[in-house]
Amino acid sequence: MNEETEFKELDSIVVRFAGDSGDGMQLTGTQFTNTSAVFGNDISTMPDFPAEIRAPAGTLAGVSGFQVNFSNKDILTPGDSPQVLVAMNPAALKASLKDLESGGTIIVNTDAFTQTNLRKADYAMNPLEDESLVGYHVIEVPLTTLNREALKEIESLSTKDKDRSQNFFALGIVFWMFERPMETTLEWVQKKFAKRPDLIEANTKALQAGYFFGDTTRTFQQRYRIRPAQLPPGTYRKVTGNEAMAMGLVTAAHKMGKPLFYGTYPITPASDILHALAPLRHFDVRTFQAEDEIAAMGSIIGAAFGGAFAVTGTSGPGVALKSEGMGLAIALELPMVIVNVQRGGPSTGLPTKTEQSDLLQAMFGRNGESPIVVLAPQSPADCFNIAVEAARCAMRATTPVMILSDGFLANSSEPWPVPNPDDIEPILIEHPAAREAEDDPFMPYARDEETLARPWAIPGTRGLEHRIGGLSKAPLTGNVSYVPEHHEQMTHDRAEKIARLAEFLPEQEVFGPSSGDLLMISWGGTFGAVRSGVIKAQRNGRSVAHAHLRYLNPLPRNLRDIISNYKQVIVPELNGGQLAFLLRGRFGLNIQSFPKMHARPFKISEITSKIEELLG
Amino acid sequence: MSIPITLNRKDFVSDQTVRWCPGCGDYAILASVQKTLPDIGVPKENIVFISGIGCSSRFPYYMNTYGIHSIHGRAPTLATGLAIANPELSVWVVTGDGDGLSIGGNHLIHAIRRNINLNILLFNNRIYGLTKGQYSPTSRTGTKTKSSPMGSLEQPLNPIALAMAAEATFIARSIDAHTQHLNETLMAASQHKGISFVEIYQNCVIFNPNEWIGLDDRRVRDENILYLEHGKPMIFGKDMDKGIRLNGFRPAVVQLGNGITEDDLLVHDETSTQLAFILASMEFPEFPAPMGVIRRVEKQTYTDGLMNQIETARQIKGNGNLRTLYESADLWTVTAKDQNGVASKQTGQLSLEVDEEYVDELDKEPEVTTAMQDRLIEDTIAALSPKAPITIDVSASLAKAVRQMNTHRIGCLVVTDAHDKLVGIFTEKDVLHRVVGLVEDLETAVIADYMTPDPIALKANLPIAQALHEMHMHGFRHIPLVDDEHRPEGIISFRDVVHHLKERFA
Ligand code: SF4
Repeated sequence: MNEETEFKELDSIVVRFAGDSGDGMQLTGTQFTNTSAVFGNDISTMPDFPAEIRAPAGTLAGVSGFQVNFSNKDILTPGDSPQVLVAMNPAALKASLKDLESGGTIIVNTDAFTQTNLRKADYAMNPLEDESLVGYHVIEVPLTTLNREALKEIESLSTKDKDRSQNFFALGIVFWMFERPMETTLEWVQKKFAKRPDLIEANTKALQAGYFFGDTTRTFQQRYRIRPAQLPPGTYRKVTGNEAMAMGLVTAAHKMGKPLFYGTYPITPASDILHALAPLRHFDVRTFQAEDEIAAMGSIIGAAFGGAFAVTGTSGPGVALKSEGMGLAIALELPMVIVNVQRGGPSTGLPTKTEQSDLLQAMFGRNGESPIVVLAPQSPADCFNIAVEAARCAMRATTPVMILSDGFLANSSEPWPVPNPDDIEPILIEHPAAREAEDDPFMPYARDEETLARPWAIPGTRGLEHRIGGLSKAPLTGNVSYVPEHHEQMTHDRAEKIARLAEFLPEQEVFGPSSGDLLMISWGGTFGAVRSGVIKAQRNGRSVAHAHLRYLNPLPRNLRDIISNYKQVIVPELNGGQLAFLLRGRFGLNIQSFPKMHARPFKISEITSKIEELLG
Repeated sequence: MSIPITLNRKDFVSDQTVRWCPGCGDYAILASVQKTLPDIGVPKENIVFISGIGCSSRFPYYMNTYGIHSIHGRAPTLATGLAIANPELSVWVVTGDGDGLSIGGNHLIHAIRRNINLNILLFNNRIYGLTKGQYSPTSRTGTKTKSSPMGSLEQPLNPIALAMAAEATFIARSIDAHTQHLNETLMAASQHKGISFVEIYQNCVIFNPNEWIGLDDRRVRDENILYLEHGKPMIFGKDMDKGIRLNGFRPAVVQLGNGITEDDLLVHDETSTQLAFILASMEFPEFPAPMGVIRRVEKQTYTDGLMNQIETARQIKGNGNLRTLYESADLWTVTAKDQNGVASKQTGQLSLEVDEEYVDELDKEPEVTTAMQDRLIEDTIAALSPKAPITIDVSASLAKAVRQMNTHRIGCLVVTDAHDKLVGIFTEKDVLHRVVGLVEDLETAVIADYMTPDPIALKANLPIAQALHEMHMHGFRHIPLVDDEHRPEGIISFRDVVHHLKERFA
């Protein structure tokens, strides 16, 4: 043990692992996160993938990053700026340096700082040799050389294969720095490479060598100690937004006693939902990979007509293609869920980056008067709840529901107290029963008085044969009708049944004083940053409250009253001001907008400075 | 379907007034469908009609079954979702040449290719009817319409060949005016498991009334239609006096008699892919129009495959259990200890998150550049057969050094001390930058003041990659090699490396 290395007690710290997309950085970050979670820290993570899966090695375009914030208390975001950066090559250093906190620690693999790599990263000079890193604490480790040395006795692996485990060497160093146990990762290695003993040996040795390198050399002056967090007692797992969404959808199907039909077309960043669902055939999950986005939408309309819990997942560009089908689904008044994992737009935009710029598309992106229910999860784990709630809304009002997740929520993770499935209320569905010839004729658009839902009669039920379509219809019978009054009534009923869901959904809660100087209204994936910023401002004595919306259509029934209790209202969002626009239109009140268009989440500091700016 | 069902045509007639133009071929097809359905052995409530947009797509409204009048071209997608949600249903798609082959062409191909259990009826009238008479994807080249007053420039699509390309397991053709034939064809389609694709020649009396002349008139049609029967020779004509023979790869019409017998004719085989393509290529009036079942083969349907997977998964894993699903990850349990905090320990299994990056990397085929990298990493510097160094003593004069370089025609001298250990290196670059024009008297100047002291030196057992790395990092062209005692034993140049690679990959 290196006696001179001191421990520094911290409440939380943000670490970023960055390297080439082939360097295994996502894995390294995940292992570090799992270990920290098991250790008992609260965690929040954010991966940062390159847009090109096979970008040339060593280039800025190929940098893959994984940021983890771990803490001894409740945290809501992956952290504004990393305090520790592990950079596997010059490009990784360059891409991450601007985010690093000043005075932060950088661990670099000096072996990768070759002339070629420096050139690929657009470095004219080697940053390790000039002034560029002044002000940071730089730890230079010839990682490749050391790792090769550690693995030199494994003869069955080529040098290239050995080099692939150098991320574990780096992980070992970081484990040592933060006093993490290695067991979780070692056990993972055992299972993961059960069929390749040489890889078990390589990764185990690399991890241990990294750890002991930290322990024995005098390169490090500081170790950090972050004690376990005071999470409420319970059993936890780590969950990403897409994983939680998939589990929520399966749960909803289970709770309504129906097969889950998931018809979709591969698209970033939504595909992981498909990947999570496809192996769940034993839950009667029927995934269908359609030929295109349009077909995926068509297939869920058919499946909903057939009586399944029908869901599709996509991203903004896919929603654009699906909007025709969504219009039909709205006219047919069939229950289904459309998940939009938003990414930067317009057009192909920024496939791997996050944005909240599809809100108005969700609300209005179809021809005609075509209202749709819109819900948005507020954190990765909340995707689970929102999926179940979306199913409830769809069934209650027999209508399509759109979920607006986003790339940040989809790929970020947090600890999730594993729920007891028995505590989740069943979703009750009543299909009309079979009829005989002498019974009254079946009326497919005879509405429920309370909810205005129409009967969901499924093929295979005798006596309920009926035809529905995209043409305008008469009330009750659903027969084609061009009668002006019919069209007006049906248009009204479709809007009204969505409006009535507000009675069913919970009231909006406010965090902070119920009246005061400033109200921040946010929605979707910005919850963590906005809430953390508001807490900070409140601690500084500011009269600021936070209302985070999970229901965007219909809006919470008490929202108007809430808004009128504050002198100023501002909406921070990752778009050009779409929710602010909606709220102004809806309430006619003076609502300010705080847009951010970097295709990256808000930083807490951006929220707090905005508050300071407004309240002077 | 074991329950006896006694239904008749009327059970399938809805209360909606039919609104096609008087004389439209759609009436005949509707009647034929309503006539056939009572006999297909499926309860009425299990039958669903799904259409897109177009004249033909009004069809579901007139059928007293379940039905959806959907959006343009998309009917196969809804039908697919419906069939997957409930594989027990008999799902019928009604589409036209515009709906199914133009805007919905892609969906049609993929529904066919997947062998979804659907009956697709494509009403082919070779014109856009609902939008009032533009040419369609099946209109013949040169067809004059409102949108092609000088004649269509486009090559028409062949629906049967398209279905073949997607490997439909059942393909048939019939015509609206031939009730008996149409009934039989629809019945055959309904009995096939998997995709049944039926092209129905349909007369649009308003915008394309002459399209099927020769085929839709009962007085002449038998002369011009080749009625296909599995296992039977291809004979046609009112007097059954003509047949189809194969000349090489080409079909040809032949007159029977004069030495040509039935034995010379093609025999229809519903399972032959090649024959189906030949039949698809036979266009009236050059050939008689082939009608009936063109192709019929058995293959697993999509939904059977899916249900098998569900069954297998349940046998292996049991019925899905939510708790197990939630817990399929690293779990840890937090228990309240005392005021001071909490204890946390791992309590669950370890998840096997797939490390795509790592696995992909391992699976990747080694590329040429990688092979080169491997060589650079695996071959040692010794493999470059390093030249012996030309050494010079650290106390020697610059004049002597330059003379040495000239004599040996080399660009680099290795400088040693009294114990023969490496202390410096002196290169052409040093001559250029530090000596020329700067030093007046070469004889008195000592090399020690002009060399690069303590140069980076390597051992011959290191990988070539490391030598290259050093050269790159510092811009060296030469690197001296030393033994364990730091005595120079060789020198390598960038050129040696290039030469070595050239040899290896020549
Ligand atoms: S336009 Fe042609 S296809 Fe359409 S209904 Fe009239 S006759 Fe039939």
